[in-house]
Amino acid sequence: MKHPERAAGSVAKAFKYGLKGISGYLEPAERDLLRGLLDDVISMLEQDVRENEDPLAALIGLDMDVKQPSDRALLRLLPNVMKDDDGGSLEFRQLTERSVRENKIGALKAAALGLDKDDLVLTPEDATRWSMALNDVRLVLAERLDIRDEADAEHIHSMQDWSQAEDVESYLALVYNFTTWLQESLVQAMMAARQAKS
Amino acid sequence: MSPSVAYGTDIDERTKAAEQSSTDVLTAPDIPWNLVIWNDPVNLMSYVSFVFQSYFGYSESKAHKLMMEVHKKGRSIVAHGSKEQVEQHAVAMHGFGLWATVEKAASGNETPGKGGRQRG
Repeated sequence: MKHPERAAGSVAKAFKYGLKGISGYLEPAERDLLRGLLDDVISMLEQDVRENEDPLAALIGLDMDVKQPSDRALLRLLPNVMKDDDGGSLEFRQLTERSVRENKIGALKAAALGLDKDDLVLTPEDATRWSMALNDVRLVLAERLDIRDEADAEHIHSMQDWSQAEDVESYLALVYNFTTWLQESLVQAMMAARQAKS
Repeated sequence: MSPSVAYGTDIDERTKAAEQSSTDVLTAPDIPWNLVIWNDPVNLMSYVSFVFQSYFGYSESKAHKLMMEVHKKGRSIVAHGSKEQVEQHAVAMHGFGLWATVEKAASGNETPGKGGRQRG
């Protein structure tokens, strides 16, 4: 797991907890960036409606044709539920994967929608959806960046200077660090909100 | 196996049938299952701890302890119950983006949140 320091050079104000609840501010360019990332993950998770699909099965959330995702990033978002039991994991997918996808898409869309307003003021429910959405974005970026262990994560984390963004990998690394910093500040604000309530 | 009307074989068959049915009875929901959270280099420590608090209702210190166990030992059993219960938790954890699996509890299993086995 990661324990990030504040990202240097980022112009976004961190999320904070105050009288209005949890609020934050992002520059227009940062909103556009984030919106693009959220949309990417949404389209990864959205499935084409299959022909000849049993409408009743679809209605109650079953998906008997589901397979283990071949894309690593998608597999990280929708992992196997049993370590050494592919059959059991597949059965679980048939029963649950559709609803997990739908929940994730819901959170990602809610966050994307929230970006349309100038000031980000989040209810506790909004904040939870935002933290889930940012986490999914980070999981996908981390797969694209091939972050496999803590050493990889440290290496990526050391890239904080936007003037270093000279290729796709370094650009992705900076984007990853930005979303990490954003999520960390959001979670800190959520913790503060939780403590204030109790 | 050869079909036989011999007395001894019949007893064997009956015993086997009894064993089978007792196994069936012991499958769900009596056998306890564990919900396991695995370490990964992406999820934030603060986020994992927050999820443990907000979803399971664990205290800050218990959530922190379980999170540190995931971080240091690579995995931690964070809840247990019937297969259906831990599967429900796993769906929620996957929703949060945590890497969760379910497994049958071994005999003499670890108890979530209880100390004593911190250092592996």
